[in-house]
Amino acid sequence: MKPVQLFCWHFMAYPYLAKDFDEKEYSGWVTVPNRLWDNAKARGLYQEYIDQLVYADELGFDGMVLNEHHQNIYGLMPSPNLIAAALTQNTSRGKIIILGNLLPLHLNPMRVAEEYAMLDQMSHGRLVAGFAPGGGPETFNYDVPSANTREKFWEAADLIVRSWTEDGPFAHEGRYFPLRYVNLWPKPLQKPFPPVWIPGSRSPSTMTEVAKRGYCYFLSSRSHGGETHRAQQEFAAVLEKHGDKYHPFRFGILMSTYVAETDQQAREECEEGVWYFLKNCLKGHLRREGRQLTYGPGVPYIPAAAWREYLKGYTPGRKLLGDVENWEELEASQSIIVGSPETVTRRIQSLIEKAKVGNLLIQFQLGNMPDHLARKSMKLFAEKVAPALRQGSLKQFNEEYPGMNFEQSAAALH
Amino acid sequence: MSGRAIEINGRKVWILESGNGAPLLYLHGFADVHSVKESWLPFHEQLAQHARVIAPAHPGCAQTDENKDVDVIEDVVFHYLEVLDALNLTQFDLIGSCVGGWIAAELAVRHPEKIRKLVLIGASGLFVQGALIGDIFMMAQPEYGSSYATLREMLFCSADHPMALEMFPDGKGELEDEVRRYQMLRLSSRIGFKPPYFYNHSLRNRLHRITSPTLVIWGGKDNFVPRSHGETYAKLIPNCSELKIIPGAGHSAQVENPEETAKSMMDFLAK
Repeated sequence: MKPVQLFCWHFMAYPYLAKDFDEKEYSGWVTVPNRLWDNAKARGLYQEYIDQLVYADELGFDGMVLNEHHQNIYGLMPSPNLIAAALTQNTSRGKIIILGNLLPLHLNPMRVAEEYAMLDQMSHGRLVAGFAPGGGPETFNYDVPSANTREKFWEAADLIVRSWTEDGPFAHEGRYFPLRYVNLWPKPLQKPFPPVWIPGSRSPSTMTEVAKRGYCYFLSSRSHGGETHRAQQEFAAVLEKHGDKYHPFRFGILMSTYVAETDQQAREECEEGVWYFLKNCLKGHLRREGRQLTYGPGVPYIPAAAWREYLKGYTPGRKLLGDVENWEELEASQSIIVGSPETVTRRIQSLIEKAKVGNLLIQFQLGNMPDHLARKSMKLFAEKVAPALRQGSLKQFNEEYPGMNFEQSAAALH
Repeated sequence: MSGRAIEINGRKVWILESGNGAPLLYLHGFADVHSVKESWLPFHEQLAQHARVIAPAHPGCAQTDENKDVDVIEDVVFHYLEVLDALNLTQFDLIGSCVGGWIAAELAVRHPEKIRKLVLIGASGLFVQGALIGDIFMMAQPEYGSSYATLREMLFCSADHPMALEMFPDGKGELEDEVRRYQMLRLSSRIGFKPPYFYNHSLRNRLHRITSPTLVIWGGKDNFVPRSHGETYAKLIPNCSELKIIPGAGHSAQVENPEETAKSMMDFLAK
């Protein structure tokens, strides 16, 4: 039995936008003009961000999380594998979670299989291999035709895992990635293969595909009202249907937090970074302002029947996370939890209790938050919040899931 | 008007048909029957006074089954060869708008003998250097939460055109209209999203094979497929009488100015 796993997620935002960015620029994604990149200011930025992740490892977080984005100010990691490679050399204990490589954007999935295998070797088996299909913006970044994204994605994911587990050379007779010689050198270190995590946004088909393969489902939503709890229940039901059982480590969520000595101080210290993140980084993604690229009929990746169902419950112009107008609305969204160690502990504890979630992927550095504040918040969290969460969750999981085997079940594969 | 489904190769194809006379196959575009509306627009009704208008919905559009094997325009062309066989259409007039015009041109270069007369309206399909076809997919993503003004502007002369507002309203339109719009974008993403963007590089050098008398119609203010594409079609199709410009209309000339567009077409077909 293990307690809740606490991971430090870094998005590596571009933090040097002018104060009038939101007023002047239409989007932070895909078409955000790259003349705004300032070499003089940005020198050393990657090192600062990598060092924050190394610090997370030193503080005893269970791991570090990276992900892939292109052509935006939200995340400067077109290749998270490069940052992961740096982390293999600078950290020694925590998992390295890449959530994930965007498979339909790669010409050949074997490149992902190879790089992940290298990272697993280089990190002595600390890799968590995330595969993601990419969302609306990525469709435009790399011109991935939406209609077959999902099929391409699962073919690629299955090929990668097969290349890790089956002796080569073998031929892959796929629809999208046919390959004569699949013969992976190196092989990954972890057996039968590194843990696989797949993000989703409550679509039943993704949950089903994840359940069939025995992987971990990661809810990519940034807000945690009732939906998180519902997603957990839905995924648990899908697992049951496939003869499997839910446990907290089959499920992960993304959240953001800022911890300071008191509630008041926490809000004062993080507010600039939080608003920078909400108004700039989410513009084009989770905001109504400008053009929202993430969901919409222009990225038609779900079948028409599923779109009809989606439309029935859809309210045009509804507020997204980045549209919150004041601190109270932000608090209510349960997306960014800000406060003293006591406040943050209480609120996250209640989230774990309700959502029965074992993997918390936590963003500390928000928007243009300066290094010293991000580090202070991480340290307070590690010292004053994490112990209580671990203790509480261990008790909860022991009671709710007695005698469960929490390791990835290889038998569930294929 | 009657709607019916035929079956080709185990897949259902939805067809609307109306009128009497010589067969006229109509292949739809974005602001059109099957891709927004369930039934005819005024333009089709005017055509049906003079011809037997047959309008199939493209693969995955309206009630036509989706075909997951559609990757490139060639797959759609073969789909239509099967439709022609099933309908026993050996000689017919062919009209295509936008993507439908692209499909029509591709059919005409392969089987010039089947086409009596050809009409292309704002047809995509060509690569013209320096005149990129617009990104309808990005325009279909909502602005300011619920505005589709830039989508309307791409498909019509202006975002405020009454037909534009009826077919592509802000917020949520009539549910089934919305679903049909989505289906058309989904088919289009298969053949027109990844480069080549709504074109086939090889088509240009095949246009000389078209033998039928051809009319090319373009809105004077097409914001989706630039007019130079119309000029290129008109120049390279040997028996093309003219590039007919509908002044004031945008990409959807047959919807924006149905009288003049239908009249030009009827005059041409009757000649």
